[in-house]
Formats: sequence, C-alpha cells, structure tokens
Amino acid sequence: MTSSPTQALAVAAQAVAASKIYGSGDTEVRALDAIDVGFEQGRFTAIMGPSGSGKSTLMHCMAGLDSVTSGQVIIGDTDLTTLSEKDLTLLRRDNVGFVFQAYNLVPTLTAIENITLPMDLAGSKGDTAWVDEVVGATGLTDRVKHRPNELSGGQQQRVAVARALAGKPQIIFADEPTGNVDSNTAAEILGFMRSAVDQMGQTIVMVTHDPVAASYADRVVFLVDGKIVDELADPTPQGIRDHMTQLGA
Amino acid sequence: MFKLALRSLIDKKLRFALTTFVVVLGVMFVVGSFTLTDSLRSTFAGLARDIAQGADLTVRADQSFGGDFDRATVPEAVGEQVLGVEGVDRIQPELGALNVFIVDSEGNPIRPPGPPALGFNFNPGTFFITEGRQPGAPGEFAADTSTAANNGLLVGETYEISGPISAEPFELVGVFNFGSPDSHTGLGQTMAAFELDEAQRFFGMEDGYQAISVLVSTGSEVSDVQARLEAALGDDYRVITQEVDAAEQEEDFNQVVDIFNTILLVFAFIAVFVAAFIINNTFQIILGQRVREIGLWRAIGATPRQVSRSVITESAIVGVVATIIGIGLGLVLALMLRAILELIGFPLPPGPLTLRPRTVGLALLVGLGVTMISSIAPALRARKISPVAALAHDFRLDATSLRRRVIAGGTVFAVGVVALAAGMTAGLDTTPTFVLLGIGAVLAFVGINTVSPAFARPAASALGRPVKSLFGMPGRLGRDNAARNPRRTASTAGALLIGLALMGLAAVVGESVKKTFVNIIENAVEADYFIRSAETGFGPPPGFPARLADEIEALDEIESVMRIQFAFGGLSVDGEPRDIVAADMALADDHFDGQVSSGDMAAGDPLTALALHSDSAESLRVGVGDTVEATFPDNQTETLTVVAIFEDAAIYGNWLIDGALWDRHFNRNDLAFASARIADLPGAVGEAEQAALQDRSRAAIEGVLDRYPTVMVENQAEFRQTQESQLTALIRVIQVLIGLSFVIALIGIINTLSLSVFERIHEIGLLRSVGMTRKQLRRSIYWEALIVAVFGGLLGVTVGTVFGVATTLALPESFVQTVAVPWLDLVVFVLISAVAGLLAAILPAVRAGRMNILDAIAHE
Repeated sequence: MTSSPTQALAVAAQAVAASKIYGSGDTEVRALDAIDVGFEQGRFTAIMGPSGSGKSTLMHCMAGLDSVTSGQVIIGDTDLTTLSEKDLTLLRRDNVGFVFQAYNLVPTLTAIENITLPMDLAGSKGDTAWVDEVVGATGLTDRVKHRPNELSGGQQQRVAVARALAGKPQIIFADEPTGNVDSNTAAEILGFMRSAVDQMGQTIVMVTHDPVAASYADRVVFLVDGKIVDELADPTPQGIRDHMTQLGA
Repeated sequence: MFKLALRSLIDKKLRFALTTFVVVLGVMFVVGSFTLTDSLRSTFAGLARDIAQGADLTVRADQSFGGDFDRATVPEAVGEQVLGVEGVDRIQPELGALNVFIVDSEGNPIRPPGPPALGFNFNPGTFFITEGRQPGAPGEFAADTSTAANNGLLVGETYEISGPISAEPFELVGVFNFGSPDSHTGLGQTMAAFELDEAQRFFGMEDGYQAISVLVSTGSEVSDVQARLEAALGDDYRVITQEVDAAEQEEDFNQVVDIFNTILLVFAFIAVFVAAFIINNTFQIILGQRVREIGLWRAIGATPRQVSRSVITESAIVGVVATIIGIGLGLVLALMLRAILELIGFPLPPGPLTLRPRTVGLALLVGLGVTMISSIAPALRARKISPVAALAHDFRLDATSLRRRVIAGGTVFAVGVVALAAGMTAGLDTTPTFVLLGIGAVLAFVGINTVSPAFARPAASALGRPVKSLFGMPGRLGRDNAARNPRRTASTAGALLIGLALMGLAAVVGESVKKTFVNIIENAVEADYFIRSAETGFGPPPGFPARLADEIEALDEIESVMRIQFAFGGLSVDGEPRDIVAADMALADDHFDGQVSSGDMAAGDPLTALALHSDSAESLRVGVGDTVEATFPDNQTETLTVVAIFEDAAIYGNWLIDGALWDRHFNRNDLAFASARIADLPGAVGEAEQAALQDRSRAAIEGVLDRYPTVMVENQAEFRQTQESQLTALIRVIQVLIGLSFVIALIGIINTLSLSVFERIHEIGLLRSVGMTRKQLRRSIYWEALIVAVFGGLLGVTVGTVFGVATTLALPESFVQTVAVPWLDLVVFVLISAVAGLLAAILPAVRAGRMNILDAIAHE
C-alpha cells in the first residue's frame, strides 16, 4: 500500500535530517528525530500521528515558527536555519500561509481585512484580482465587510484559508483546521482547501488526527516518536484507520 | 481561599508588582510628608529651646496679633524698672531686624534663598564666639559660623551691610555659634550681630528693645520674680518663662511646617487618588482575565461568597505588602526631601527621622483602605460569575450598561460640582472649604470617569482615524485596540485625566490672574521707575534700606519718590487681622492709578486717613467720610477716616494707610518697594530730550543704588515683565508638582497596556505568525498607547479648562477680572501626556515583541 513520493513534481518544502530536541540528559525528548521529508508543489499532504508524535512540531519547524536543533528546513530555495528572526517573519509573511485550529482571525478587522492582512503588513496592495478570485471561491463575497464574531465557525475558517491563499504563498500549513467544528462545517472547509489545491495549484500541508479530514489529502505521512514511519497515497478514511491501527496509535 | 488568593498573586508576579507599586507610591507620599514634617517639628522644638535658653524670663510688649517683628518695643526705661525688681540679677536687651544683608567681598549680598537675613544685638546668652571677639563698638559686627564659612568671610575684614535704613561698612570682629557653644543651630538664615547701641542705631530703634531677657539671681524663685515683674510692669507687658518662650517660638515655626505639610499632603492626596483609579482598573481587568478560572472554582464547589472573599483577600495582601514597602520608601522620600531642602538653601540640623504611630496608622489606612475599597466592585462582580464560565469558550463579564453609567456618573458629577460650587462661594473657614473642594473634586472626577467610557470608543476611533489611514496596519491595529474596550481605555485615560485636569486648572487660573495683573499694571502704572529688592524668589520680597528713597528723591531729575511698606496682619478691624500697605497717600494716585471710585487718596490727615478697596468697603459697609476703629500690632487703637475707595488691588492691596501712620505704630523701617517719577522738563520737550532725560535719570538712580547692592531699579516695561515672569514661574512650579502625578499615571498605563497585551496574547501570536514583524507589533502597541494617552490628555485639559474658567469666575474680582485660556500650554500638556503614553508603552511593547509565537498561539 505504500508508495514513494512522485519524483516528477518539484518540492515546495523539505526537511533534511531535521531533529528537534528538548531538554538534555535524562530528560531529553526527541520531538523530531532526524526526519527527512519533502512536500511536493501543488499537492495536499496530511501529517498524522498520535499525540506527542511530533506532528505539530514538524509543522511548526517547517513553517518557520520554531527552529530545529539540527538538520535543515528548506522552503523553495531558502534554508530556514540560516535566517534571522526578522527574515523568518518576512518569509512567513510572503511565502507561507497559515490556518490554525481556532482564533485564526483578528477580531477588530473585517473578513476582507483579515484576508489581506499579510499584504497590508507588507505594505503592498497584493494582486487584487487574485484576492477577488479567492474571496469569490470562499463564497463569502457578500459577507467580507463583517467582523469575525458575525461569522459562523465554518465561515471564519474559510476566511482563514482565504487569507492563507491570498498572498500566493509557496506553501500553506494548516494545524487541525477542522478540530473545532462539526463534521458538516469540516467538510465545507476541507472541500475549499481541496479545491485550492486542484484549481489554484496551491501546496497545502495539514496536521490532523481525523482520518476523514486526512482523506481529503493526496498523501498522508504518519509520524510516531518523531520519525516518519509510513505514508499513504490517495488515502481513504478506512485505509487511514487501518494504518493507524497497525501503527498502534 | 486565602491559599488560592496567595497562589494567584504569586503566579502573576508582574501584575502583582505593578499593582503593588501604585499603592506603594501613594503610601510613600503620605509617609514621606508626615515623617518629614514630624522631623521638622522636633528639630524646630529643639531650636526653639536653644533660642529660649539664654533667659529665665523674657519681658516683651503684649501683642494680640501681627508678626513678631511688628510687636511694640520695650522702652529703655522699662529695662531700668525691671532691674529694680527684687530677684532680678541681670537683664539682657534683645533687638532683632529683618533684611540685614551682609555683602561679601565680591560685592554680592549674601541672600539665603528662603530663610530670612537677620540682624541682632550681640547676646552672650545665646551667641557663643568661636573666633575673634564679640562686637563692642560702632562699626563692628559678628557673623554666625555657617554664614561666615559658606561665604568666605574673614575676621578683620570690612564688609558692607545693608540694613533697614542704610547700607554701611562694618568690620567683622568675630564669628559665633548660635544656640550652643559647640555647634551652630541654623536653618539657613544669615545672622549679623552688633553691639547694642549700634544695633539700635542701625536698625532704627533708638528708643527701645524688642524684648528684655531676665536672669534671676540665685536663691530667688523664677515664679516669684515673674509675679513681681508682672505686678510692676502692668498689662502692657508680658513676662514669660523660658518654657513658654520656647513653646511660642515652636508654634511660630510650626505654622511654617503646617503650610509645608499641607502642600505635601495635597500632593499625597492626588497621588493616592490616582493610585485608587489604577488599582480599581487593574482589579477589573484581572477579574476579566480570570473569569474562566473563577468559573472553574465555582464548578468544583466554591460559593460566590468564597469567590468574592478571595478577590478581597488578594487585594488585602497587595495592600499590606504595599503599605510595608511604602512606609520604608516613605522614610527614604523624607530623607530625599530633606536633602532637596538643603540643596535649595534650607539646611536642617541632622536629626533622626520621626516615624510616629499616627503616620503608620495613616499609611495602613491609605494602603490597605484604598486597595480594599477598590476591590469591592470587582469582588461583587466576581460573585456573578457562573460555573458555566469555565466551560464556555468566550464568556465575558457583563459590562455595566453605558446608559446606567451615564446616569450614575452624571449624578455623581453633578453632586461633585455642587460641592465645588458651595466650597468656592459659601465663604466657610479654610478647613471646611478645602474639605468641601476636595470632596467635590473627587466626586467630579469619579463622575467623569464613570461617564467617559460612553464616549471613549467614538473618541478613540476619531483620534485614531489619521493614524489608521497614515500608518498602515500597525496604526490600524493600534487604533482598533484603543477603541476596543472603552471601559479600559477610559479608566487608563482617567489616571492621566486627573493630573492634566489639575494642571489645566492651574494654567487657566494662573493665566487669568496673570492677565488681570498685567492689564492692571498696564493701566495703573504712572510712575517712571520702580525700585525693588534684587531678590527674585517667591513670597514677599525682602525689604531694603529706607534711606535710599531720600537719596533718590534728592536727585534733580526726580520729581517724587513714593515709599511702600507692607505688613501681613498689620491692622485689626472688627477683631480680624488685615494685611496693610503703607504709602505716601499724597503721591499714591500719581504713581499708581488705583482706580479711585469715590473720595480722594490725597485728601485728609495722613495720620488718620484710610483708603479701602471696594470689596473691603462693601463688607464693612463703610463709605468715604465714615470712620473705622483700627488696632495696630503695638496694641494701639486709632480712629481712621475713609478718604477714598479704589477698585484695583494690584498695588495697594485692600487696606492702604499713609507712611506717617505706619511710622507711628511700626518699628520696621525698611521699604518693601518704592517708585519714582521723573521731573518734567520746563516747556515743550522734543523726543530726543525726553530720551536723554530718561537716560540721565536712570543713571542718577543707578548711581545711588551702587551703594545699595540688594536693590535694583526697573522702568515700566521691565517692571511689567518681571511681575509677569514671576507669576509665570510660580504657576510652573505648581504645575510641575502636580505633574508628579504623571509618574503614577504612567504606571497605570503600563499596567493596563501589559494586561491588555496579555489579553490579546493569542491574537499577537497569530499576527506574528502571519508575518507581522516585531517592529510592527511594537509600533501597533505604541499607537494604542498614544491614542489612549491623547484621549486622556484631551479629556483632562478640557475638564481642567472648564473647572479653571469656573474657578476664575468664582474668585473675587480684586484678584482676577479676566478669563484667559493659555492655549499653547494646554496643547503642550496634551503633548506631554502623549509622550507619557509612549514611554509607558515601551515595556509592554518590548515584552510583546519577545513573546514566543508558539506559546502565544497555544495560549488559552
């Protein structure tokens, strides 16, 4: 059932022998243990694993929110481990998109202002036609002037995805984007992310523990104890569940 | 619950530290002012004992009111009489005069900046020679050790001394310690001592003494001698024991200490008041943040009572800790104030600081009281938190509705204004007036603060509009955050409001007084030259030798010289002491136009003439031609006739008598002020000639003043400018003192901003992760602080201006007639508060920037 990464596609982001170690001596914890992984352009990858497997740490390190202890993290041509805090910030602003589980939006800004936030921070107008297209894709064109507290949970997450898309980043990282919503809303959000990959050619990496959510991805990477133990292409919920059971998670 | 409260404090160290710090400041001010003034009192008590120790009994004229130096003299003949009384061993005449300035070898008069420059006859009982000998002949003097040492005065050298009448050279023959043989007891005053006859001549008191010290012969009982002296001298004289003398001296000193104490306490009060705002604010915010935690307590079985008790316990711990630290720092503050006093010329004899139980009690009352009272409202709100709060995702405390706020705040404000109005107009005694004004001000501020959230949001939005459009996303977020929680914005601004409102009030009242005064001088000044002490400190200027007026009058270029003297409480009418001015009434109207509305100042007998300001005339219900029974400090009563009523109190005050009448009842000869008019040239005069005359006359006056180094001359323009700049300086000093409350307000802003940053920690994590740089984040917090601070500044300045205008209108017309608003000052105040806001934002902004993004995102 396993398959190797499709070599034909360029890699949007990759980790090379990336380790993340907390503490030292007896209390040493290897959150990431010399991981090698690549995420291809235009693909939707899910990272799965039991609690404490290091899946969130991997995502944080790949996204430039956290640093690895050793090894390399590369987005496009840039080695993140060589960047200063400021350059990392600018990289996140210009090349990375984020969707979190909750509190994705700045409450004082309207939906559209949240969407263009990274561009506004950069002081650029961005590609307005593209922004319009992204907003159109969210189906929230008539609600963009609303503030987050006037939107439903699903709508808020769609706005968050739209923000991630609006800057045409090289890669989008989503951390349990459906962890906080009911299954109908989850389907709505995941469908939107799927179409972003299919129709806009976006690259998305999503951390989740929900097999149904992961089944929207092109590929699932399984993490246990800071190592990649397995992966699955074109997954189905049942296939994922079977794998999880095998892994003892 | 105590354990929980304690734990909650320990967990939030910064929050605890900031809250405590604010209370500490308040307590510190209270403890510092009381400790210092208590220490001053005990120092003065010692000084008073030192001064009194030279005599068993003191004989002096009976005096029911007025200054010590205005007391009637004891004629020399009385001295003979005293010596004849059984049991009197020796007598020592005492003589003293104000404004006796020693001129140093450089030609500069030695001016103690606050304490007086005094002259005495040499009294071996209290003056102890340390070098040289005591003065024994005309032309000799001795100086106190501290004045001699500080100014390099050398025994054997000759120095010019400016006295009440003349300036003359004297040889320094000795240096002495005052009070004790071993050390000089001084408060920074300069002391020049002369041989008795010489002192009488130089001070212009040839016919008497100010007091007679009596030494009782061994074997006689002091009380017996006292009784015999009283019987022999009659009611005109008092015979007092050493203890009574010391007590009376001490009381005199304490009057000064009381004024000082009051000033310090006013600032302590402002500090405590501002602190109360900030504590209340902090508790409210903290409560908002702990809703979930409290909900959890409730869920696991804590009763509402226990919850509110834990909030109050927490505040009590803050209060106690802050009080203890505050007392410690208060003692430090007292030491610092003492050092400052020494720096500005009031050296105090070293002595232990006096921390009285009363001070500790007050500190507790302030520290604990203010904190606990401030926690009542939050504690009551905490009771309403339901267990559901622990589960709900974003449970928010219901804020009091703005409508209710406006009604409640408006009511409190109205009551405050009524109290203020009553305080200003009811004409009560000083203490009730101040209490009423204090209560009124507090209520008014509380009222404004209660109402202000209602307009905090629109105001912050409006203020932030340019920021938003000009400064990109950081500006935008700063503005939004300022407008986000109107309650918080308003109460942060409230801390600034108080200081600024008081500064604004002082500015408006000060400017109005200044404008009034300047207008009056502009219109009233008729004389060409003004001769005054070169001293430019606060308070009444020291007097200068009277003889120089004669010398100037004798100049060919000068037509007339008017001499002005002044006494606080120099006249008693209807049992009440009144401040009086003495001038040559025949010249009065020619030198200053006092706006005489009826009568004629120059009319009538100078020895019985009285001119009154219309306010005084009105309150006494007298008009021109009526008589007034007036008592002088020498206990003599005269029947004076009102010759004129005038409208302008700037120069002549409320009560004006002639110099001749003054001379009859006062021993002080020095002049407070003099003015001169140039003699007109005969016939028509060209401009050039007029200018030449001006130059010539000025040069002539300056020629005279060369011999009087403590005195200077000004023409009309210079005179106006000096008066104006002195008023300006006084207003500035008051404003700077009030501005100290800024320090506390600063802490308040730091506090609120830190807490509001903490509240938004998740949002900050989000912003940072989507690419907001640290700099942008910091900038957004600066903008937020700036907007809040400017809001507070504008509110404060507005309130201050309104109160200032109201106060100005309520003040008597003799004091202020024009309402003037110093716009530039007000703009500067708003700028100052903007800078304060920015300074306060540094710490929270830097902390926010350093926050770990992942922790922030994960934060619940």
